[in-house]
Amino acid sequence: MKEFKIKVIVEGTCKGKPVVIDKRISFFGEVDPRKGAVCIEGKEVSIKDKPLVIRGTRGSTVGSYIIYSLKEYGVAPSCIITGYVEPILIIGCIIANIPLFVVEKYRDFVHYIGRQEKFIEVRLDKEVVVVYE
Amino acid sequence: MFLTKEEEKMLSGEYGEAVALAMKVIVKVGESLGAEKLVKVRHVHVSGVSYSNIGDPGLSFIEKLLRYRVKASVYTTSNPTCIDLSGSTRLFNKTLVSGQLRINRVLEAMNVKPFYTCIPYLLRKPGFGEHLAWGESNAVVIANSIYGARTNREGGPLTLFAALTGRTSYSGLHVYENRVAQVLVEYKGSGKLDDYWGSLLGLFIGDMVEEIPLVKGVDTSDFSVLKEFLAATAASGSHGLVVLDKITPPKSYDTDIEDKLVVNTSDLRKYLYETASDFDENRSILVYVGCPHLSLTELAKLSTLVSRYRRLKKNIRFLITIPYAYRKLVDEYALVLRSRGVDVAYGTCPIVSKLDEKPDLVVTNSGKALFYLKKLHRLNVSLMSLDNIVKKVFT
Repeated sequence: MKEFKIKVIVEGTCKGKPVVIDKRISFFGEVDPRKGAVCIEGKEVSIKDKPLVIRGTRGSTVGSYIIYSLKEYGVAPSCIITGYVEPILIIGCIIANIPLFVVEKYRDFVHYIGRQEKFIEVRLDKEVVVVYE
Repeated sequence: MFLTKEEEKMLSGEYGEAVALAMKVIVKVGESLGAEKLVKVRHVHVSGVSYSNIGDPGLSFIEKLLRYRVKASVYTTSNPTCIDLSGSTRLFNKTLVSGQLRINRVLEAMNVKPFYTCIPYLLRKPGFGEHLAWGESNAVVIANSIYGARTNREGGPLTLFAALTGRTSYSGLHVYENRVAQVLVEYKGSGKLDDYWGSLLGLFIGDMVEEIPLVKGVDTSDFSVLKEFLAATAASGSHGLVVLDKITPPKSYDTDIEDKLVVNTSDLRKYLYETASDFDENRSILVYVGCPHLSLTELAKLSTLVSRYRRLKKNIRFLITIPYAYRKLVDEYALVLRSRGVDVAYGTCPIVSKLDEKPDLVVTNSGKALFYLKKLHRLNVSLMSLDNIVKKVFT
């Protein structure tokens, strides 16, 4: 078990086995808002109801509405943990009410989760995300 | 966070429920980004207005604003939508019309200028040091990098809130101390930097560099090339500011170089090979030019270029997109282009809309179009300079 310091952007519950996409993604163009899937390099990864870990965001400012659409279509990730935030991601998560956190040591965090599916949980009281073995 | 008396009033609901909600969200975003105050903006550019992109969830979000009967409190323009309001092209999907008109109705009721374009910087030139709240990634990077104005890549809904309040948070690229280039990119490509190489270099830098770059070797005075270059950096990357040696106004940025990247022609060739499709004349082809929208100068140039030819070759369609705001200004150019078989569409583009028929191959001079048409619409896209496109597709 290990704890990583986080900054809370949008409060809420965040726990489960995460989907880690160690890339900067453009929600517009790289996420299908009806399927709830990230589509990059010909692969489709479902993010529905799971904690989504990303390095950050890139691309179009329409991304905020795609995040909102994910929620409206009932296929949003349960929460998002990111290495850094842009207004596009923040505003999308605020209007969609998706918990959003910035993890301070993103590299270490992703490295520790590794390839195995570890369970994670955000503790709002301590402002940390806990990774369980 | 420090708020002025006026901003306090907005927040407490003295200007109505919608302004209070907008203010609440702007403050929240500001707090997340560590802003100590808000800043007044002179021009808001709203993005995320295409029904094709934002769908019914986005439409219902925007229509909620109509109920409050709110108006934009500053000069506000809008991005392209998914329909051509002039009705002059038939290439786009018709099923999107009614949904889009509902969005337009809200925007126009809010007093948003119906320019419907992604090049707001050519309709109202941003001032040096002026604070803006712009959505539309190409517009943001051009405002910061060419005009020395200050805006973040504001998310679509945030631009609507900025229009209502005339404010955004004093964070990110609004703050001089954050406008610091950290990676030196030296472009050492052989040959003339045109729209083709500019697009490629932009996509490459967007993909490879995360920090604010200081780019040397892109000191062209051709605005069209800069436009394609910068638009591409903001598509494949998250750049809001790309400092261009000899172009970006002094005193609008600082440098603290920690890293260096040299880019040669061979790097770009390799990148192109991984990114784009080959040109093949035997397939059904759609040529697309006008991403970002063509300026008046570009339109004039293209019309002169095309007037030397008789017609488009078989199996080739040619689409250009321009601001809806130009619809009364460009009849002569449009006539010449149409007489040669070119489709002229106003206030829209294939990225924010849907094509009725999928071509086997899209040929474009835009790195940004390449990025999104491939990713979003799953099309095969080939990159070529405008001069070469015209030579190849007309007889």
